[in-house]
Amino acid sequence: MTERERMLKNLSSYDFAIIELHIYLDTHPDDLSAANAMKEYEAKSRILRSEYEEKFGPLSTKNVSGNRWAWISNPWPWNRQEE
Amino acid sequence: MWVYEKKLEYPINIKQTNPALAKIIISQYGGPDGELGASLRYLSQRYSVPYPEIKAILTDIGTEELAHLEMVGTIVYQLTRNLSMDEIKAAGFQDYFVDHTTAVYPTAASGMPYSASTMQVKGDLLTDLHEDLAAEQKARTTYDNILRFCDDPDVIDPIRFLRAREIVHYQRFGEGLRIVTDKLDSKNFYAFNPEFDKCHLKNKKNK
Repeated sequence: MTERERMLKNLSSYDFAIIELHIYLDTHPDDLSAANAMKEYEAKSRILRSEYEEKFGPLSTKNVSGNRWAWISNPWPWNRQEE
Repeated sequence: MWVYEKKLEYPINIKQTNPALAKIIISQYGGPDGELGASLRYLSQRYSVPYPEIKAILTDIGTEELAHLEMVGTIVYQLTRNLSMDEIKAAGFQDYFVDHTTAVYPTAASGMPYSASTMQVKGDLLTDLHEDLAAEQKARTTYDNILRFCDDPDVIDPIRFLRAREIVHYQRFGEGLRIVTDKLDSKNFYAFNPEFDKCHLKNKKNK
């Protein structure tokens, strides 16, 4: 596994925890421990995301400014590493 | 609106192509219980919903289904990369190939193109939530059937992730149904349309 894949896998695991907790909180808005867990994962995701974007380019259309080629460049999400 | 993220919800890295398996898995892209239908169903149902909790669930699950659509498209794409004509013939992939080459087209495994006639947006919250619960289970059954044909761990792993999400979404829709019935008169849960009729609400004095 390359460094890019490893960082992306870790980031995806934080972001998945956020999706899961976010949807859970739709039907359990008073669950404080779930809300706190979500805040923790959001903080972890934010740090790792900025490290990743610094090294490998933007992950979101919100962070493309000044990095046009990195947004356009492969790999796109459906590409295998060597493409 | 939506913001695109240049990453998958769950990583997919399939080393060995398998066009025969791609022809089966594509049903979760554009088939009757696939991810395209799921996202369109939930994102269309939400407009006329009267309760904010249900608007949130339909929006958030509908959005996650779009991420699943991208995952299924990725699996199909990676299973059909760099195919030779011999591999296409050996896998019986010609009937798909002739119309779509190796692109990803929203179709059922049977060859029926994606059709909104496979899903409903009824404008009756109880009816729609029951449809949504059934839809999650139908998708779970389809993933179970797909797994019966898989022996590659690179494919099994993301398919199991998608299968597990159907179960979680079923749970959330079940909670949504409970939230709705808690707001309704228990004598009349299923006799009225809570999106249109006003006679269903609990007596305000009793609240």
